[in-house]
Amino acid sequence: METLIALLLAFPLVFVISILFDGIDRKLHARMQRRIGPPITQPLYDFLKLFSKERIVPTTASSAIFTVLPPTAAAASILGASILLATLLFGVSIGGDLIVVLYLLAMSSVLVMVGGSSSGNPYGAVGFSRKMSMLIAYEVPLLLSILSASLKVNSLSHYDVVSAQIMAESMLALAFPSMAVAAAAFLICIPAAADAVPFDVSEAKTEIVYGPLVEYGGPFLALFKLAKSASNLALTLLAATLFFYLPAFFGEGASLGLGSLIICLVFALFFWFLTITVPRTVFARLKVGQAFKFYWLVALPLSVVAVLLSVLGL
Amino acid sequence: MVDKRDVAKEIEVDYTRLRIPFGSVHPALKEPVSLRVTVRKEEILDVDVVLGHVHRGIEALAENRNLVQTLYLVERICGICSHSHTTCYVQTIEEIGGIQPPERALYLRTLIFELERIHSHLFLLGVLAYEVGFDTLFMFAWHVRESVLDLFEKITGNRVHHSMNTLGGVRWDLDQRLIDDVRVALKDLHNSVRRIYDFFQDKTVEKRLCDVGVLDKDTAQKLCVVGPTARGSGVNMDVRRDHPYAAYANLNDHFSVVVREKGDAYARTEVRLLELFESINLIQKVLEELPDGPIRVEDNVIRLMRRIPEGEAISLVEAPRGELLYFVKTNGKEGLWRLKVRTPTIPNVLGLKPMLVGCEIADIPVVVASVDPCMACANRLAVVDAVTEDEKIVDMDYLRRRRRKTWKL
Repeated sequence: METLIALLLAFPLVFVISILFDGIDRKLHARMQRRIGPPITQPLYDFLKLFSKERIVPTTASSAIFTVLPPTAAAASILGASILLATLLFGVSIGGDLIVVLYLLAMSSVLVMVGGSSSGNPYGAVGFSRKMSMLIAYEVPLLLSILSASLKVNSLSHYDVVSAQIMAESMLALAFPSMAVAAAAFLICIPAAADAVPFDVSEAKTEIVYGPLVEYGGPFLALFKLAKSASNLALTLLAATLFFYLPAFFGEGASLGLGSLIICLVFALFFWFLTITVPRTVFARLKVGQAFKFYWLVALPLSVVAVLLSVLGL
Repeated sequence: MVDKRDVAKEIEVDYTRLRIPFGSVHPALKEPVSLRVTVRKEEILDVDVVLGHVHRGIEALAENRNLVQTLYLVERICGICSHSHTTCYVQTIEEIGGIQPPERALYLRTLIFELERIHSHLFLLGVLAYEVGFDTLFMFAWHVRESVLDLFEKITGNRVHHSMNTLGGVRWDLDQRLIDDVRVALKDLHNSVRRIYDFFQDKTVEKRLCDVGVLDKDTAQKLCVVGPTARGSGVNMDVRRDHPYAAYANLNDHFSVVVREKGDAYARTEVRLLELFESINLIQKVLEELPDGPIRVEDNVIRLMRRIPEGEAISLVEAPRGELLYFVKTNGKEGLWRLKVRTPTIPNVLGLKPMLVGCEIADIPVVVASVDPCMACANRLAVVDAVTEDEKIVDMDYLRRRRRKTWKL
């Protein structure tokens, strides 16, 4: 019961924070391109405006799936981020929540993908197949890197990983070489999971017109965008808490609760900047094959090494 | 009334061969062109290019305007290479009328011509960067292009349609202060172009451009491809060198024709990048050698126009996208019998099919952009009936008949 209340309290918080982070991301991206950029609140305006638009379902779409998917995807990724926030804020320990979070994040990606293929648009179909290959490319190293962290602390609970860092008074990534490797693999996977530019092959607006999102507009699009920012928040927050739990340095007294949550969020924003904003500013988009190759040749070996090292106890 | 089920039936569900409509409206396209692409997974099996979404009947319009009005009309054919169009047109009229523009006018025409080439190439490089998802380079290239547009505004008063040419010369002169301005701007431009050149050496950009959309030399020659597209495929041609016009005959030693053999999208891009440097050098040379004297033979252009006899002429210029051809037949009564424009895009767009077949879907925008198509020169209009999906090609005769009908009303 307590867990449920904590989750419900975290829901609006996730909404506000993910939209705010999205705005900051757009502002920084613009400043790096010598543009002024939109105000930080722009994603909120976009969200509200999209909600006032009419709902269009194409005649070729299977309308039940088409309309049910956006709210489900948004709920899944907000729930994923809420679990992380709730554990930090209220110190609730949910057994196996790491698996749940990963599952929810993957689910929101899969739902976008299915939504695209249900629209009946050929671009949606191409987006579906591209997103499928990208999922295969990055989900495995993402899972393995988190697995190696949970192997290290012998628990699948987010709270346990955090409290292990508080006990050790150090970040996991600094304390163990295996965790440093795992953190690297995890960070490499974030841009693909977030569909940021070098790996945004499934959306690629100049090629396939946003792929799966091509037929979506109005409230549906708003919900999918919210799902995207919430899952980005969850991913960066995972990086900031699993491998780089900064408040651990402040000793046991100040290491959970609101203060540490804010520190974690700032750190998550830093990771957002590092893994989403910077790549999308300095790189050109790769092709599916090239992106796939990158993940299987760089991220996957890294995560396998991380698992092996943590099994060996390093 | 269309039954919903009928529409659903026509959507192909066979995912092994998918027909993707690329255009006529697509985020990667700056102007409407329709590519019907058949793909299997990511591989392109067939391409069908459908032109004619921006037909404006300019050639027909020119036939009931006088020679000076037509000068401003042809400028509106293209917003990017407007000076190429007017130069080419003015050259035909000058040839018919036996008018020799003063030296200074020819140099000033060359100056604007090369500035226009810089601005057009920067535009394209920006678009190309946008197509590969490199928005930062896109913003930077267009930022640099802004400085060229500012130069245009300083020299001619207009950023896009410069209206620099007139019969027998040019309309605006450069004074010493303006020359200094241009020199200073050119120096900045050179540094910025250098940076853009370095940007294009970036690994991710190269990955997207190299070995993509290859057009070999034989096919290029068979399709009569022109301009940077031809030069990227190893065809050594440049109207500025082969048939010098304006002041290019005197400047022949001061620029080289950039030719690349590989024929892929990167070769075409590299040709344009290096041409930017050539153009900057050319402008510096023009400013150095700018002769003194009048800038036009006659201030009253109407009086000049009345002297143009009946006759016909052909003129060629090297527009930023390649060889631009004008055929003009005057009627000796201030007007035109016929105006025929052959813009470089028409042959270049034909090269899209051999380039695209065998590529991936991801390559379509890159390859299309690397040809730098300027769709405003398409010559027919396609009308699609929304109910039966029949297509009619509307030709010139049909338009003329429509026009007569409209006039009667």
